[in-house]
Amino acid sequence: MLDVGRHPNIELMAYSEVEQVEGSAGCFKVRVRRKARYVDEAKCTGCGACREKCPTDVLDMYNEGHSTRKAIYSWFAQGIPSTHTIDPDHCRVLQGKKCGVCQKRCEAGAIDFEQKDKIVELDIGAIIVATGYTVFDPGKIPEYRYKDLPNVVTAVEFERFLSASGPTHGHIDRPSDILARREIAELEKEESRLQKTLARYEEKAGASSQSVFEAFAAETAPPEQQQWMEKYREYLPLTEKLAALRSKAEGFTTAKRLAFIQCVGSRDLRFYPFCSGFCCMHSIKEAIIAHEHENATTSVIFGMDIRAVGKGFDEYKVRGGNKSNITYRRSRVAEIVNGPNNNPVLVYEDTQLQKVVREDFDLVILATACAPNEGMKEMAAILGIELNRFGFFKTRPENPLDTTREGIFVCGCAHSPMDIPESVAQASSAASRAVQTVTVTPAKLLKIS
Amino acid sequence: MKQNKTGENTEGLRVGVFICDCGSNIAGHLDCAEVTKYAADLPGVVFTKENLYTCSEAGISEIQNAIRENNLNRVVVASCSPRTHHPLFASSCAQAGMNPYLFEMVNIRDQCSWVHMGQRDIATAKAKDLVRMGVAKSTALEPQKDIESSVIRKILVIGGGIAGLSAAEALAGMGLEVLLVEKEERCGGLMLGLNVLETGKSAAGQVSDLAATVAATSGVTVHTASRVIEISGYIGNFRVVIETPAGKVEDTVGCIVVACGAVPLVEEGLFGYNGKDVITQMELEQRLASGSFKAARVVMIQCAGARNATREYCSRICCATAVKNAMIIKRKYPLAEVHVLYRDMQMYGDEKEQMLWDARGMGIKFHVFDQKKPPRVGDGKVTFQHAVLGETKEFTVDLTVLSTPLVARPESSQVAALMRVPCDKNGFFLEAHAKLRPLDFAADGIFVCGSARYPVTSVEARTQGLGVASRIGAILFKEKLVKSGIVAEIDQETCVGCMGCLNVCPYEAIIFNRETGVCEVKEILCKGCGNCASTCPSHSAVLRGYKPEQLLAQIRAI
Amino acid sequence: MNRDMLVIGGGIAGIQSSLDLAEMGFKVYLVERLPSIGGKMAQLDKTFPTNDCAI
Ligand SMILES: Cc1cc2nc3c(=O)[nH]c(=O)nc-3n(C[C@H](O)[C@H](O)[C@H](O)COP(=O)(O)OP(=O)(O)OC[C@H]3O[C@@H](n4cnc5c(N)ncnc54)[C@H](O)[C@@H]3O)c2cc1C
Ligand SMILES: Cc1cc2nc3c(=O)[nH]c(=O)nc-3n(C[C@H](O)[C@H](O)[C@H](O)COP(=O)(O)OP(=O)(O)OC[C@H]3O[C@@H](n4cnc5c(N)ncnc54)[C@H](O)[C@@H]3O)c2cc1C
Ligand code: SF4
Ligand code: SF4
Ligand code: SF4
Ligand code: SF4
Ligand code: SF4
Repeated sequence: MLDVGRHPNIELMAYSEVEQVEGSAGCFKVRVRRKARYVDEAKCTGCGACREKCPTDVLDMYNEGHSTRKAIYSWFAQGIPSTHTIDPDHCRVLQGKKCGVCQKRCEAGAIDFEQKDKIVELDIGAIIVATGYTVFDPGKIPEYRYKDLPNVVTAVEFERFLSASGPTHGHIDRPSDILARREIAELEKEESRLQKTLARYEEKAGASSQSVFEAFAAETAPPEQQQWMEKYREYLPLTEKLAALRSKAEGFTTAKRLAFIQCVGSRDLRFYPFCSGFCCMHSIKEAIIAHEHENATTSVIFGMDIRAVGKGFDEYKVRGGNKSNITYRRSRVAEIVNGPNNNPVLVYEDTQLQKVVREDFDLVILATACAPNEGMKEMAAILGIELNRFGFFKTRPENPLDTTREGIFVCGCAHSPMDIPESVAQASSAASRAVQTVTVTPAKLLKIS
Repeated sequence: MKQNKTGENTEGLRVGVFICDCGSNIAGHLDCAEVTKYAADLPGVVFTKENLYTCSEAGISEIQNAIRENNLNRVVVASCSPRTHHPLFASSCAQAGMNPYLFEMVNIRDQCSWVHMGQRDIATAKAKDLVRMGVAKSTALEPQKDIESSVIRKILVIGGGIAGLSAAEALAGMGLEVLLVEKEERCGGLMLGLNVLETGKSAAGQVSDLAATVAATSGVTVHTASRVIEISGYIGNFRVVIETPAGKVEDTVGCIVVACGAVPLVEEGLFGYNGKDVITQMELEQRLASGSFKAARVVMIQCAGARNATREYCSRICCATAVKNAMIIKRKYPLAEVHVLYRDMQMYGDEKEQMLWDARGMGIKFHVFDQKKPPRVGDGKVTFQHAVLGETKEFTVDLTVLSTPLVARPESSQVAALMRVPCDKNGFFLEAHAKLRPLDFAADGIFVCGSARYPVTSVEARTQGLGVASRIGAILFKEKLVKSGIVAEIDQETCVGCMGCLNVCPYEAIIFNRETGVCEVKEILCKGCGNCASTCPSHSAVLRGYKPEQLLAQIRAI
Repeated sequence: MNRDMLVIGGGIAGIQSSLDLAEMGFKVYLVERLPSIGGKMAQLDKTFPTNDCAI
């Protein structure tokens, strides 16, 4: 990735979008909108000083909303380019309020609140479309109760949990526990605020809140002490609630019994009829890594087939079963319900016994489909190419990289669902098709003449 | 005369030292100003500068101006990891007119400021030590030249199946010359023997059309009924010998593509295989193509000879082949009964899964079995235990079709030996990196595509064939090959010819010269790993830029 | 005939296409919608089948 940022032949236009494509193969005219970052790309060194003191927290979508970032941010720590960006929807200055802290902190003088979008016109010979995919929103499947049950997460969220740079620093904490800890932290803040107020009253009166409270337990306090006692009445249940939460939190452990549900949104006529190709493998991978983190972890993968068709994949799957406590269960989960201790309970049929089984887990991971991006139709219209019946860019088997418009090629998950090795191989192929487009060969000359 | 601590001559040396704050990454944990001051007094140092970011545009131009204005002939940057930043600094020095091999980098971040956070004094002292060592090493460095060699813009493609043909088509389309060698009388590979593809189009027709186009393309020479019998040389300049019906042909090429495919397994006795009423999918294809197919009750058995202890891999294509053929039968004979017994239906992706939906819709029956309880075939019956329902089932059949995997061609090990490229334990060619370099071999200038690497569909084989063309273009479109001058050299006077170095070189970069009786380094192949230098008992092998005297200068400065 | 190339999308597929084209000597414009390139792969911890780190 670093190579892309450094290659003298590559001009990186991040935070930009293609708006118009005119002309034909060999002589396209392309209009690109370079969105305003409010940070001068030429000056920003990516040092991050600006974001340290930015007062505005925003949900970090790189971590799938499980952590926060600032209104001035880099997409992720090693991101290329490292140029920071101000989020115009949240930055105080860009929302018409007062701030400008980042501008004061930036020694490079890179912050520019006046920056405007720039339009760039390019003369292009051939185009490669590699716009990828979106992860299916499992909220569309009510029986899995995603977002409703805290301990049901998507595979991408789980990737972030597994990552040392993720919201849990690589510990597989359960989201319900994270929420509880967050609540404790909030309550503690409230508690210390109240404690300070009470202390002030106590100092003034020279008596403890409790003694005053007990003295007036039956009757109302005299007017000068009424406010004090009101605060104390707020304080008491808070401490009880905190104590209860804290003792519960002591029992929190990382998630050790994992369930993976396959084909969430894929192979499902309500959503996408196709198979997303890589999700069986990433469930196995995630189960293997979780087991590496903690040896006591067990995983059950619920699927119709386990699709492991790449080089070394079936071996990987078998190894996962033998060495990483993975059980493969051929079953479709009917629904997920809530169990005690926020444990999700899976309801499914044991087909051999022909009986409905309920099994509870610490955490459920949904292997969500590789869905076509939103806005594929608009993108297709801009490029003047067609989509196939599944919503990806259309190609023909005889020329698997060529879209319906000459000189425009497609690779990766914008073509169809596929894993990284396939995407890499296709990317090279699309590149060779692009070069062929602009190469004048004797055969082409003959055709023209 | 100026001397450094160890008494070496520092006259004429003009070292510039740049200390990077890396924002607060370094300056936050150690005193960069003090390190800079310290560096100014080191022997040979005539210029020092502390930068907020040495790697920024501003930092780079400061280095370049300093080189020009102060006539620097050594530059030392103390900053982050050489792995990521050495190329940037070295090439920037070169732009300012200094030999890039006289640049030295010191890491005072990853192994200093980051590991001694909160211990400012210790970190500062260690940074001084590291800078002193770096300066000492820089003074012992010698200018080097990049190593260049010419390239021949011609490619040898071994195998004329759809993968090899697609590679040839793309390479020629990119203006390069191609030499395609096919061992059979005709190009086309396995597809020549297939019936129709899932699109309903003739497989042989598609691949024959492509073969004809390729053969007619100027710049492509096709040798059929031929074999490559000798390959020597290296990237850019391979010498190849081909045995053709018209005699031996010798040629030189810049790169090589391995596209020799794979074959479907045929194993006597496997599920009662007899080639009559128990046949392979390949034989079914041929019966369907020739019109000799006759059966009203068909059972297909998946993973026949695959995903087991002897052949652990999944052959990727046989599930789709079975579904395709089941649909062809059902379409032609709607009353025929077709059952597919499987372990996992590998209908990955969009179109294939759609085929599975369609096949079910046509009334083709799919039944899952467990590897531990495989179906039994005999007496016109197939019996198996249904893994989901748990019950035992029996079908009376006219024809049992085994979906056998693609296996490596028996001769592929010879092909591998010609180029000394590796195969995996299943006999398929082993790529450089399964995920990020699927089409490259670890050896430079040699590439792989199609079923030679791992079973693939014809669409995937074609994709990969087109893909290698890019990988090759990246080499052969350059005027010449340029590589780092940091390579090994062997002193021809002192080498005793023990071949210790030859045996430890992972890149086959050392050859034994029979005439002189000593070893020589093929600079173009050497990757500068240093194995040979650390092995050589007579200290004749040394690595440029890391010669003993250069390392010693660094160590003495500790 | 223009020889410059446009790659839309900076995930692993777009990155690989760009690098191949650039190495072949073509000028490449790589357009990415987000502030940094990397696509989904940048969010992954480790990746199959080699389980080495994603970036
Ligand atoms: C039963 C069956 C059905 C199939 N159905 C379909 C289908 O419906 N759709 C689909 O997409 N795919 C299908 N396939 C897969 C398809 O056949 C392969 O994807 C394709 O043949 C792979 O092409 P290739 O060029 O990699 O290898 P091959 O086709 O095997 O070609 C390799 C070529 O290299 C030559 N060769 C080998 N060694 C040497 C050597 N040492 N020197 C010179 N030449 C050499 C061989 O003679 C051969 O011509 C099917 C395969 C089988 C077995
Ligand atoms: C949870 C999970 C785990 C996975 N693990 C693995 C694994 O271990 N190994 C493996 O091989 N595969 C894995 N995959 C699959 C892998 O993510 C994909 O194969 C791969 O990311 C596809 O790359 P791509 O470049 O085609 O698409 P993407 O990664 O989606 O990249 C597309 C890029 O284009 C940009 N873009 C989109 N629209 C536009 C536009 N209009 N203009 C400009 N830019 C645009 C996007 O912002 C993005 O940067 C996993 C997938 C998931 C969901
Ligand atoms: S001006 Fe905006 S981005 Fe800058 S610190 Fe304030 S809120 Fe953050
Ligand atoms: S905007 Fe300024 S402070 Fe922020 S990362 Fe860029 S250079 Fe650093
Ligand atoms: S790869 Fe596996 S989980 Fe994903 S859609 Fe296909 S069968 Fe379902
Ligand atoms: S593709 Fe299907 S039949 Fe072939 S080995 Fe894989 S699972 Fe078995
Ligand atoms: S340095 Fe390494 S690659 Fe070069 S010749 Fe010596 S052992 Fe071989």
